[in-house]
Amino acid sequence: MDPLLIGTVLKSIIVLSIVSALAGFGTYIERKVLAFMQRRLGPTHVGPFGLLQIAADGIKLFTKEDIIPSNANKLIFSVAPAIAAATAFIAISAVPLFHTFEFTVPVINQLVIVPSVIADINIGILFVLGMMAAGLYAPLLAGMAQANKWGIIGSSRTAVQFLSYEVVTGLSVMAPIMLVGSLSLIDFNNAQADGVGSWIVWQQPVAFVLFLIAGFAETNRTPFDLLEHEAEVVSGYATEYSGLRWGMFFIGEYANMITISFLLAIIFCGGYSDIGFVAGWLAMLLKVAFFFFLMLWIRAAWPHVRPDQLMWLCWKVLMPIAVINIVITGLVVMLG
Amino acid sequence: MNEIRKEDERVKGTQEYVLLDLSHSPETGFDQFAQVVKRTFGKELFVGLWVTLREMGSTLFGKGKHTVSYPLEKMPIAPRYRAIHDMLRLLESGNYRCIGCGLCEKICISNCIAMDTKYDENQRKEVSEYTINFGRCIFCGYCAEVCPELAIVHGGRYENASEQRASFSLFEDMLKPIDMLTQQKEFDGFGAVSPNADENIKKTPLAY
Amino acid sequence: MFELIAFYTISVLTIGLFLVTVLSKNVLYAMTALAAGMSLISGYFFMLGADFLGVVQLIVYVGAVMALYAFGMMFFDVTRDIKEKNTNGAVVFIIAGSVAVMLTMIFSMPLGINSIMTLVQPEVNATNPEAVGLVLFTKYLVPFEVAAVMLLVAMIGGIILAGKKMDDSLTSTEDDKIIDTEGL
Repeated sequence: MDPLLIGTVLKSIIVLSIVSALAGFGTYIERKVLAFMQRRLGPTHVGPFGLLQIAADGIKLFTKEDIIPSNANKLIFSVAPAIAAATAFIAISAVPLFHTFEFTVPVINQLVIVPSVIADINIGILFVLGMMAAGLYAPLLAGMAQANKWGIIGSSRTAVQFLSYEVVTGLSVMAPIMLVGSLSLIDFNNAQADGVGSWIVWQQPVAFVLFLIAGFAETNRTPFDLLEHEAEVVSGYATEYSGLRWGMFFIGEYANMITISFLLAIIFCGGYSDIGFVAGWLAMLLKVAFFFFLMLWIRAAWPHVRPDQLMWLCWKVLMPIAVINIVITGLVVMLG
Repeated sequence: MNEIRKEDERVKGTQEYVLLDLSHSPETGFDQFAQVVKRTFGKELFVGLWVTLREMGSTLFGKGKHTVSYPLEKMPIAPRYRAIHDMLRLLESGNYRCIGCGLCEKICISNCIAMDTKYDENQRKEVSEYTINFGRCIFCGYCAEVCPELAIVHGGRYENASEQRASFSLFEDMLKPIDMLTQQKEFDGFGAVSPNADENIKKTPLAY
Repeated sequence: MFELIAFYTISVLTIGLFLVTVLSKNVLYAMTALAAGMSLISGYFFMLGADFLGVVQLIVYVGAVMALYAFGMMFFDVTRDIKEKNTNGAVVFIIAGSVAVMLTMIFSMPLGINSIMTLVQPEVNATNPEAVGLVLFTKYLVPFEVAAVMLLVAMIGGIILAGKKMDDSLTSTEDDKIIDTEGL
C-alpha cells in the first residue's frame, strides 16, 4: 500500500485522539495554573495531584442528562456543537505539526511515511483561517436555535466579534506572507530554518502582536471572551447546553487554542526547525506550550473588555495598524 | 461646602488617607487615544502579568498556598465566637452546673430552649428535660449571658449540619462528657466574666 | 475514484441543501442550509485544483457574507415558521420557470460544441494563488479596479449612513434627550 496514505491516516487518528484528549488536559492545566497564580490549590483530590480530574469531568459530561429546551429548534440545536468540534479539527488538518518522518513496521515490513501536515494544500494558512472563520457558525446557530435571550445576545456577539477580528487576522498575516512569498505553512517553516535569528517575529513584530491579539479574539479567550461572559450574558450561546453537547463546544474551543498556538509558532517563531541542539519536535512543543500558557496567564492577569471597546480596538486601532504594516512591508519588499 | 470640609478634617483626625487622583477622564477622542497609548505601552498591562507570574512562583516554590483544605484542617475560631452551646460541669463533683433556674428559657428570644425540672430525692432541683432547637436558635448568646452559674456557654462546634434535629439538640450531647472533665476549661468566651473583671469592680457607694 | 465519490456526494448534498433553503419555511433551517451549501461549493473548487478560490469561497461567502446574513436574521423570531403570502401562484411559476429554463440552456450550450477555448492560458509553473494574481492584475485589471472602487463607495456610504448619530452616546445621555433627537 501507499506508505504516504497509511501515514496520513495514522496521523489523522493520532491527532484527532490527542487533541480531543488535550482539550480535557487543557482544562486541568488551566485550572492548576489559574489556581497557582491566585495562590490556591486547584484540583487535588481525584488521583495524584488531581490528574484524574479529567476522567472525572469526562464521566460527568458523558453521563449528564442531555436537555433540549422544548421551544428550541431541535435539529439545529443538536447540530451546532458538532460544527464547533468539526471545524476546529478540520482546521488542524492543514497545520504542519512536526517533521515528516518515516519508519518501517517490523512484522509486515511496510514502509510508513508520516507527513508533517495531514492535508498538504499549498494555501494552508488561508485554509486554516477560513475554517476557523466557518467555526463561528457553531455559537451563532447554537445561540439562535435555543430560544433564549442570553443565547441570542451571545450569538450576536459571536457574529460581531469573529467577523471583525477575522479582518485583523487576515491583514496581520498578510505581511509575513509577502515576506515568505507563499501561502503554504511548510514554506513558512522552511523560510525560518536558519535558527532563531531568521524567525519572522524579528522582522514583523507588529504583525506578530496583531495576530496574537486577534488570535485571542478568535478563540474567545479572556480579554475578549464576550461570547459567554458570565457576568453579562449568563453563559451566552452555551446557556441551554449541558452534558456532551456542551463538552463538544469545549473541545472545539481548546482545539482552536491549540491551532492558534501552532500557527503562532509556525508563522512567526520558526516552526519545527531545530534550534541548535534542541530537536525540532521538542522546540515546537515548547513553543506551543508557551503560547498555550500565555493564554492562561493573560486570563489570570487581565480583565475583560467591554463590547464597544472591543469594536473600537478592532476597527480604529488594530485594523489601521495592520494596513499600515502591510503598506510598509510592501514598500520594503518592492524596493529592497 | 467649607464647613463640610472642616467636619471632614475633624473626623479625619490623624489618619493618613491617600486620595486617588480621579480628576480627569478623557473628554476628546485624542485624549482617549492618548490614554490607550499610555496604557498599552506603559507598564500597566505588564505589571499585571508580572504580579500573577510572581504569585505563581511564590505559590510553587516560596510561601505556599493560601487555601485551607477545610475538612482536613480547620481555622482556629475566636474564643468569643458563638457556636453550638456547651453544658459545663462542676469540677469538684462532676455534676452538671445547671440549677434549673429557667432564666435561659425565659430570655431566649427565638423560643428555642425548652426545659423541664423536678425535685430529686434530696429535694434538689434536677433538670429532667433540656433541649435547644437549633433549627430556630439564632445564636444571639443571651442564654449564656444570663446564666448565673456559667452552666451554658457557647462552644466552638460550628459544623451543625445533621440529618436529624435530635442529633444535636439533646442535653446529653451538649453536656461535657464526664470522662473529659479534666479537660474542661473555664470558659472565657461569650457571657463569661472578663479577664480583668477584678479591676472593673467598683466599691458600692453606700456611704452618702 | 475518490474524486468521483466526492463529486457525487457533494453534488447531491449541495442541491439538497439549496432545495431546503428555498422550500423551508423556517428561517433558521434556510439559513443553515444556505451556509452549508456555500461551504460545500468550495469543495468543487478543491476538486478542480483551484485551492485558492475554494478557500476564498470559504472565507468570503461562509465566513463573512453568510454571517452578516445571519446577523440580520437575528432580528426575527427564528423558532417560528414564516407564513408566505403568494398572491398569484401562476405568475410566480411562469417567471421563475422561464428564468430557470433560460439559465439551464445558456449554461448547457457549450457542452454540445467542441470549440470551447480557454481565454487565458494558465501559467504552468505558477502556483495557484500566483496564477490567480497574474490573471487578475493583467487581463482583468480594469474590472478589478472598478470592483475596488465600487466597494470603496459602498463602504463610504455605509459609514455615512451609520455615522450620522455617532457622536450621540445612547448610554451617557438622559432619556428625554434621546427622545428629543428622535424627533418625537
